[in-house]
Amino acid sequence: MRLFSRRVHELSGAYALDALDDAERERFERHLQRCQACADDVRRMTSTATAMAMAVAAEPPPGLKERVLAAAAATPQLPPLPSATAARRRHGRRLTRSDWFPRLALGLAAAGVAAAVVLAVVTVSTQNRLSTVQAQNQQIAAVLSAPDAQIATGTSSTGGTATVVLSYAEQKMIFTSSGLPALPNAKVYELWLLSTGAAKPAGLLPQPTDGKTAPVLAAGLTSADKVGVTVEPAGGTSSPTTTPILVMTLPD
Amino acid sequence: MTIPTGPRHRTSRVEARGVPAPRPDRSAPPRDDTDLERLLALVARGDQDAFEALYDKLSGPAYGLVRTVLRDPAQSEEVTQEVMLEVWRAASRFDPARGSATTWALTIAHRRAVDRVRSEAAAADREQRSAPVPAAVDDVAETVEATMDAEQVRRCLEGLTELQREAITLAYYGGYTYPQVATKLEIALGTVKTRIRDGLMRLGNCLGRSW
Repeated sequence: MRLFSRRVHELSGAYALDALDDAERERFERHLQRCQACADDVRRMTSTATAMAMAVAAEPPPGLKERVLAAAAATPQLPPLPSATAARRRHGRRLTRSDWFPRLALGLAAAGVAAAVVLAVVTVSTQNRLSTVQAQNQQIAAVLSAPDAQIATGTSSTGGTATVVLSYAEQKMIFTSSGLPALPNAKVYELWLLSTGAAKPAGLLPQPTDGKTAPVLAAGLTSADKVGVTVEPAGGTSSPTTTPILVMTLPD
Repeated sequence: MTIPTGPRHRTSRVEARGVPAPRPDRSAPPRDDTDLERLLALVARGDQDAFEALYDKLSGPAYGLVRTVLRDPAQSEEVTQEVMLEVWRAASRFDPARGSATTWALTIAHRRAVDRVRSEAAAADREQRSAPVPAAVDDVAETVEATMDAEQVRRCLEGLTELQREAITLAYYGGYTYPQVATKLEIALGTVKTRIRDGLMRLGNCLGRSW
């Protein structure tokens, strides 16, 4: 047993450099939980690895920042691991929700848009996306209440439907979907504004709740555009890499 | 500026046991990571402005590291995007007791890069490329701080034995598992384990400050 422990302990350096295969990494992590000396070693050596990383820093490609920020705005965050702090934070979020809900509802009521769509847009908002929705709700309300607001629906080639509320006056659209097939973690549905010969990224669809995705607000809409959805690697891409599962022609 | 990178220029496998490691550089100021930890706490609450500030600080090191491991710029960009999104997604899971915010983020970056490079297709692709491992060093962001970091790491790597240095750079910058390192260097598995561990300890002592 003692010999076994010592052998495992020798792996701390390789662990700190990610030089273990998955099976050995898991074995070492189990060992770490009951070996404080190993945890101290790993912490120290991981910090040294960080110094090696800093030494090869390089300028990231232009455009990456915009894509990352846009993708983050549409990506739900993990809740904190359960703790007292987490409970407080959840309470805070509930209050926030009651704060934005009436304002959004008011904006929606002003719109001459079918009540069913209104409800769908509101109810699919998930707890995790509240902060994003909060930032977007004014703009969503503006689209829904625009005098020229219109609704379009489409069907995906893989099953599921999409509903779009759009306003050319606002140059924006709100996209929701229902019943799209679930994707593996490494993939995401990406939304595009398609005009002749060009595809503009228009956001990533969030993880669905009860099969419905929360509304995605896309700006820069022009009357020549169609709406497309493709399956892309997590984080999205700057131009489509797969055949769209959905292309919708928008009303004039 | 180049960082020694594994066995390509190896002329001898004699370890320079008698060579003392350079003295820790105590003149360097301690790195203040509290700013990043403050930003990360805001990001955990969904603050997108804080995330933008965090991106500005971390994307250069993350991209440089990923590209050093993967070599291919397009794949590196894709993986860096995944890494930064993971930082956004998992910000609430950061535990300061286990290391600094920078270390947390760059650990994610390195893990993602090696996961990618060890997938079969990528590995086959990489074998076709003969570029030296840290090609990224050539365009290290021209900030004084980055240059100092690189210079100090280079100097401290030089203070290791050749085997320690080769094993560490192949594992970290090359993304190889330690059994792969053992095969490449034609040494026993146990030897690789201890060379990596001893070398990292010595490198940490030489750097003399923590990240």
